[in-house]
Amino acid sequence: MIEAAAAFLAWLGAGLVVLADGRRGLALGLALLTTGFAVLAWAGGQPAGAVAVAGGGLIGSVRCWRSGSAWGLMPAGSTPRLVLCVAAALVGLWVAASVTTGAAAPLRFAVLVVLGLMGSRVLASRETAIVLTSIAAFSLALAAAPGLASTSPGPAPDLIGGLIAVGVMFVPARDARDPRAQGAIKGRVGGG
Amino acid sequence: MAAELLVAAAATLILVVVTAPPRVARRTLLTWGLVGLAAMTAILLAPSLDLVLLILLVLAVLQAGMVSDRDFATRLRAPVLAIALLGLGLAFERIQGPAVLQRFGAVGMVAGLVAAVGLLPYIHEFDPEESVVASPIPWIAFVGPLLAATVLSRARQLLPPEAGDAFGAMLIGLGLLNMVWGSVASWRTQNDAVAWRYSFMADWGLVLCGFGLAVADGRSAALILLLSVVFGRLPLYFWSRQALREKTPTDRPINLLVAAALAGSAPFAGFAARVLLLRGATSLYWPLALVLAAGMLLWLPGSLRLGRSMGLPRRRQAVGVGIVLAVNVFLGVYPQPLLSLAGQ
Repeated sequence: MIEAAAAFLAWLGAGLVVLADGRRGLALGLALLTTGFAVLAWAGGQPAGAVAVAGGGLIGSVRCWRSGSAWGLMPAGSTPRLVLCVAAALVGLWVAASVTTGAAAPLRFAVLVVLGLMGSRVLASRETAIVLTSIAAFSLALAAAPGLASTSPGPAPDLIGGLIAVGVMFVPARDARDPRAQGAIKGRVGGG
Repeated sequence: MAAELLVAAAATLILVVVTAPPRVARRTLLTWGLVGLAAMTAILLAPSLDLVLLILLVLAVLQAGMVSDRDFATRLRAPVLAIALLGLGLAFERIQGPAVLQRFGAVGMVAGLVAAVGLLPYIHEFDPEESVVASPIPWIAFVGPLLAATVLSRARQLLPPEAGDAFGAMLIGLGLLNMVWGSVASWRTQNDAVAWRYSFMADWGLVLCGFGLAVADGRSAALILLLSVVFGRLPLYFWSRQALREKTPTDRPINLLVAAALAGSAPFAGFAARVLLLRGATSLYWPLALVLAAGMLLWLPGSLRLGRSMGLPRRRQAVGVGIVLAVNVFLGVYPQPLLSLAGQ
């Protein structure tokens, strides 16, 4: 029951990241998703991995929370995104609970849905903050995926996933329209 | 196979840094080259494909963070799509369920690999004016070969036999598509830098066919071709950048030699790889060898164009071109030591 709730939390967090354009909304989405995956890792017998996921994801979430004050939840024109979230959940639930067999159905649901939703969010967005938050969430889902294997993956994927989730929020990415970036482009340094 | 590709990438980095033209910042080139090599070493040593995907994600974010005309989000799209497809493919392989899921898994793996390298149908956005390290070229010619060797060897262990056949067929199909598209586009496209990029795609078409054949000759051909991409086409492209900017096509004997090496003529490495590939295809299904042989003829016009676009290499670059051609001839004439080293 706890695992099912954690998987639902992971989907809810991913949905918030998809539906929010403001930093606070993105941060809340990342925090919910992190909590979901940390509980799933703990339930999968990886306490060290769960701590790494929780630490990495929550630090990344705090960093995102502090970098802006807007929520930007479901701005005008976000109906297709809402439909995407609901459709992804339904397809994920069908595959995880009906098409496939074996234990760890909540983990299957969470991994498939979050990978799909975060991948589509990165592909559809041009805002650096949104892309970075999506990548942090994406890394946590990738780190959880080895839990689907029959053999224990150990805590290494969760540790690396947590590190990516926190590290990616500190990447000083500049858009090409940033004046500092434009200056460097004109200088054309490095790499021929 | 992956270890040989790592050594070749390191050799290419040294050669390119030593022979870089004066206007190129060598420190930047060396720094980013070493970052790439570190990631490639980590990919080689990673105990599972999941860790490979996480390493790939870190590398993609680092490269996208570099200053460029293309924005951060645009540059991350292709690698993230690749990682998502590979991740989903891997998940489908692990989940217990109907056999069709494992075939979906095979589709995800092949599509993800092709997206990571930047081949059809997921060509990376390419800006001819962009610096080499920030452009998609490192994905197709520096990190891509080792990544492909690693992913394909690990995927073969995961896939059940029935999905393995579909996996090979998809590789061959995409290989033929990239071979034809890349070689025709490198001949017909207007911009010379874009023509170079398409020529990488054409070579990758042969590589995918080699891996898809799943016979020893095919794998050997793929290894030789990947090495000739990393330690042949990539440094030659790097040295051609200045001539591409100055638009100074040249018709000297050295340009003809470079064109011959790029076209896979005897005695260069591409020729040996093509012979092995045709032998492997004949042993498996001879009409495929016929199609491959016809496709190989398409390399000639594009390679002549690329050879001319090199300009006249001078001083250190001339030495670099000489080294690359000599190694290429050695691999073409006597590839056995390399193949034995790679266990082929």
